[in-house]
Amino acid sequence: MVTLTIDNQTVTVPAGTTVLEAAQKLGIVVPHLCYHKELGAVGSCRMCAVMIHKGTLTGLKMSCLIAVEEGMVVTTTDERSMALREQVGEWLMLNHPHDCPVCDEGGECQLQEMTIAVGHGRRRYTGKKHTYPNQDLGPFIAQEMNRCIHCYRCARTYKDYCGGRDFGVMGSRNRVTFGRFADGMLQSDFSGNLIDFCPTGVFTDRTFRFTSRFWDLQEADSVCSHCGVGCAVIPGGRLHQLQRVRSGTNAAVNGSFLCDRGRFGFDYGRHPERPRRARRDGQEVAVDVALEALMSDARALIDAEGPEAVLLLGSERASLESNWLLQRLAKELGCRVPVLSPHARRHQAAQAVAFDLSHQLASLADVRTADVAVVFGVDPLAEAPLLALALRQIVRQGGRVVVCDPRPVELPFAFEHQPLSPLALHELLGGGDMDGKHLRDLLRQAKQPVLVAGADLLGTAGLRHVHSLAQRIATDDRACPIYPVLAGANSFGAALLSLPEQDDLMTRLEGDHVRMMICLETDPLVEGPDGKPLGERLARLEKLVVFDYLPTAVAARADTFIPTCPPVEASGTFINSEGRLRRFERVLAPGASLAHKEDGAHPPRAFFLTQPDSEPLPAPRLLQRLLGGETSLAQIQAEMVMDRPRLAALPQLKAGEEGERVAATVARALPEEKLPEQPAGTLQLVVSPARYGSDLLSRYARQLTPRLTTACVYLHPEDAERHGVQEGDRVDLDTRFGRFTLPLALSETLARGCALVENSAALPEPIPGSGISFCRIGRGGANG
Amino acid sequence: MSQTPQLLFKNRKAGETVFMPEYRASGGYQGLEKALRTMTPQDIRELVKAAGLRGRGGAGFPTGVKWGFFPADAPGVKYLVCNCDEMEPGTYKDGVLLQADPHQLVEGMILSAFALQTQVGYIFIRYAYERQASNLRKAISEATAAGYLGKNILGSGFDFELHVHGSAGRYILGEETALLNGLEGIRPNPRLKPPFPATRGLFGRPTTVNNVETLANIPHIVMGGAQWFKDLAMTTDGSGTKLFGLSGHLNCTECFELPVGIPLREVIETYGQGMWRNKQFKACLPGGASTPYLTGEHLDVPLDFGTLEKVGSRFGTAGVTAFDEDTCMVAATLNLIRFFARESCGWCTPCRDGLNLVKWLLEQFESGTGTSDHLLMLKEQLRNISGNSFCALAEGAMGPVAGLLAHFEQEIVDHIDQGRCPFHR
Repeated sequence: MVTLTIDNQTVTVPAGTTVLEAAQKLGIVVPHLCYHKELGAVGSCRMCAVMIHKGTLTGLKMSCLIAVEEGMVVTTTDERSMALREQVGEWLMLNHPHDCPVCDEGGECQLQEMTIAVGHGRRRYTGKKHTYPNQDLGPFIAQEMNRCIHCYRCARTYKDYCGGRDFGVMGSRNRVTFGRFADGMLQSDFSGNLIDFCPTGVFTDRTFRFTSRFWDLQEADSVCSHCGVGCAVIPGGRLHQLQRVRSGTNAAVNGSFLCDRGRFGFDYGRHPERPRRARRDGQEVAVDVALEALMSDARALIDAEGPEAVLLLGSERASLESNWLLQRLAKELGCRVPVLSPHARRHQAAQAVAFDLSHQLASLADVRTADVAVVFGVDPLAEAPLLALALRQIVRQGGRVVVCDPRPVELPFAFEHQPLSPLALHELLGGGDMDGKHLRDLLRQAKQPVLVAGADLLGTAGLRHVHSLAQRIATDDRACPIYPVLAGANSFGAALLSLPEQDDLMTRLEGDHVRMMICLETDPLVEGPDGKPLGERLARLEKLVVFDYLPTAVAARADTFIPTCPPVEASGTFINSEGRLRRFERVLAPGASLAHKEDGAHPPRAFFLTQPDSEPLPAPRLLQRLLGGETSLAQIQAEMVMDRPRLAALPQLKAGEEGERVAATVARALPEEKLPEQPAGTLQLVVSPARYGSDLLSRYARQLTPRLTTACVYLHPEDAERHGVQEGDRVDLDTRFGRFTLPLALSETLARGCALVENSAALPEPIPGSGISFCRIGRGGANG
Repeated sequence: MSQTPQLLFKNRKAGETVFMPEYRASGGYQGLEKALRTMTPQDIRELVKAAGLRGRGGAGFPTGVKWGFFPADAPGVKYLVCNCDEMEPGTYKDGVLLQADPHQLVEGMILSAFALQTQVGYIFIRYAYERQASNLRKAISEATAAGYLGKNILGSGFDFELHVHGSAGRYILGEETALLNGLEGIRPNPRLKPPFPATRGLFGRPTTVNNVETLANIPHIVMGGAQWFKDLAMTTDGSGTKLFGLSGHLNCTECFELPVGIPLREVIETYGQGMWRNKQFKACLPGGASTPYLTGEHLDVPLDFGTLEKVGSRFGTAGVTAFDEDTCMVAATLNLIRFFARESCGWCTPCRDGLNLVKWLLEQFESGTGTSDHLLMLKEQLRNISGNSFCALAEGAMGPVAGLLAHFEQEIVDHIDQGRCPFHR
């Protein structure tokens, strides 16, 4: 630790801290623009000047570049440094347009703040301002180059941190521009970070343009629910309409970054077909009427047919509180414990993570600071985009990343790809030696090794193999933690709440005991692997009840439908893949949007005592009403801790904070799983989520449409030749999920002996994470 | 015509380039043979330090001290880079030298590489120096054929390979870390220092960057010794000879090899053969476009690093540009500032935007719309740009502005008072 004096106050900070950061610790803001805590200091804007009176280097210095020294004496308010900062303000404003009143950045513009902070207020330059042509960067990012002050943060974000290749610095002197070589949609899956990192209005959110001023937005700390990473986000909305999402900060998880799926895929909650009224037998009814009818139906069936008659289904999308209250409801009704996921195999894998691996889990920050990462069965950009960014930081610091995965994995950095088929991957992990020795040597030589394990592809058996590998690599002075990749925002939470040795959904539905099913924020027809048989079984139910905020297929079939709220309209808790409790706060209340219509008409002029379409309630409140008494969220959480001691940190949890991790527990003893035999003449079927449109939320997020890809089958060119098919052919793929006829694409980096399909709205079946299975391929009957 | 001992220009003949046979006949490569047979790398480094050689690229940093920072004994690849990206207005001596006698640089680089134990060398050459680049390529192939380059040079066990690399042609590439970026093929912005190139330079390896003339002096120092080299200078703390590139309003605008410390008057009157058209001397840039002006009162100042610093200017590259009595110093400074503002890489604010503001202010004076507020602003620019930019480009660009304000402020006031340029008739 180093102690120094800044403006007559002493502060003690770790060695290596810069003077700028030390001053921040004292609450002294040294005006700055090019410095950003995630990107570091480069010394280009020259604004953060301070006077160093005592130290190795004395005089006027840039505080972002000078490391603190013991006994250093610094002033930030002396005449000389203030004069220079004001001058830098004048230079930066020479060509900056005075369009703040119509600029989307207005109110949250760092340049505005810093210009005021440095005291530049009077314009002395009366010459012409430079102007620049703008580029069309696609539907997500608007560019207004005239506002640029050349801090280089965009290029440092897009290229250096995120590894994007289609954006950069062009030109020289005061004609430097930042953009693409030619107009076109930015290709990086992290392009939206330009919006957050640009300190002024050059890159703004095109989907948010002209909808709100920053100071009019309702904002709250929330958690992204598109995947299991659980990134901090700050959604903002107004007039009952969610209008944008920007990145929050969580040092242990996403830093200050966000992927485009999380940033732009928020509009599922304002889907035009979102069901906002309770329905019973095709008629709109009041929520309380529907709830009452639901309870009496359930009680009558249980009384008549026994506890098996009613089946409760929770989900990996619903909050921890909702799933726990569903378990309470089961007790109250006297029926069997709820199933907390429609996807049995995914749920088992999540349990392996939540129980067996729980004492050895890595955070995403651990991944960023590792020097060697070996990734088993994950395509990071498709399954956990921020993981790709974390892995990139390893390589930027000189470390190595090896990815063992059958898919043609692409990542925004140089890495070693071992294209192993699912069976080969399991054999490798299960001790078959092959290339395992090379990996083990690499891990043993590492100072901070980390393993990444994909639950979908590895399943419970694979995860347990990764766990034992980690235990073999770890020594007393060197941990080898595992970063698990789970699919849902609350997969970990649902797994943690699950009671051991319970049957999965399809087993429970066998026979005819189940007469009524209640689905809580899930569509088992789409989110589970057994869509077709399940659809037939649901038709035989007497009652189907659905709670949801999406217009899902199962909601359309429900006898009783009760609208709920997406996370931005509710408060609650998720547990992310790494076992971290993540609290989200309500951003806005549900209701029909009051925003101006596109034709320029005024907001509705009719007046009501209540907000139209505000019937949806958060699922926990609905479940509490069913349980006969509403209490506060805090009270529910206190009861949850009594029930589940692993959630001890829950009551102290605050939104926007890093979040504690759930307590670890001992691994369970489970029997070994046997790998299936591959029948001759077949290919191994690999089902991957597509980068966009695979999770249900992004499927209802219409803003993501420009990023959707078409469905096809991928084969290695050698396999295509062996099976007599060519690129572009329509081929029949016969799988245990049925026959799919799709165009064929070839990929050199796909594992041999595999056929890959990507799950998305364009190909809703098969579902990822359904285990190892085999398929046959042949030229399609009708070509074209 | 010069009475100074000629080291670098001893083989110079008008319109001709000297190659291997003549270079060897004039004593070429004897320094290399001597060094490889009788000296250790340490000996050469100490000799250069003792000779007091200061960098000839403009900054004048003592070469021996710079080499002292270099981890010559560290294992792994290290690089020696020759900075031949000469494009400051008024500076053209490296081009003349390489047009006359390219083998001097090749020999100098081999000797320096041996002294620093670097295995690979690059000559980073201005894009416009096509003939010089082809001279160097020919010299390198001759030297390779003669066994002076390649593996096991002269049986010493020392290996060195040398490459010529063209510059993309912007002034900023003369800044050593921008040059390294350019050589690596990435955007040539200067790099943050530390780490200095001696620690982490080209491709992340220890690197030394030296000017053409600096490196070409090494064989002479090895042959003549440190004391001989120091005695060549006319000042006590100076050393060696210097190539002076004359330009501007002189009767003779050529490049001469003259002793360090020669008085300005002698350069102007003897070598420049006086001011043209019988005009009076008004001012000069003593060392290229980035050095503050000298005026008539400085004619007896010896031209050396220390002596010029004392009078508020710099020796720079010794590219002397003289201005006659009819020159508008505001216009002259504006002309220079236009160059620097155009050549800014655009990385830091003082250079990218500050120089343009300076340019605009000088334009106001020159066009007759300047006010005393503008003069105040110009003084603020000098105070705020100098010392506060990322690299030395903006600092150098403000050299003439500093000279203008130090010696010719009255001329600016005249522009303001008359509402026009007083020299514009």
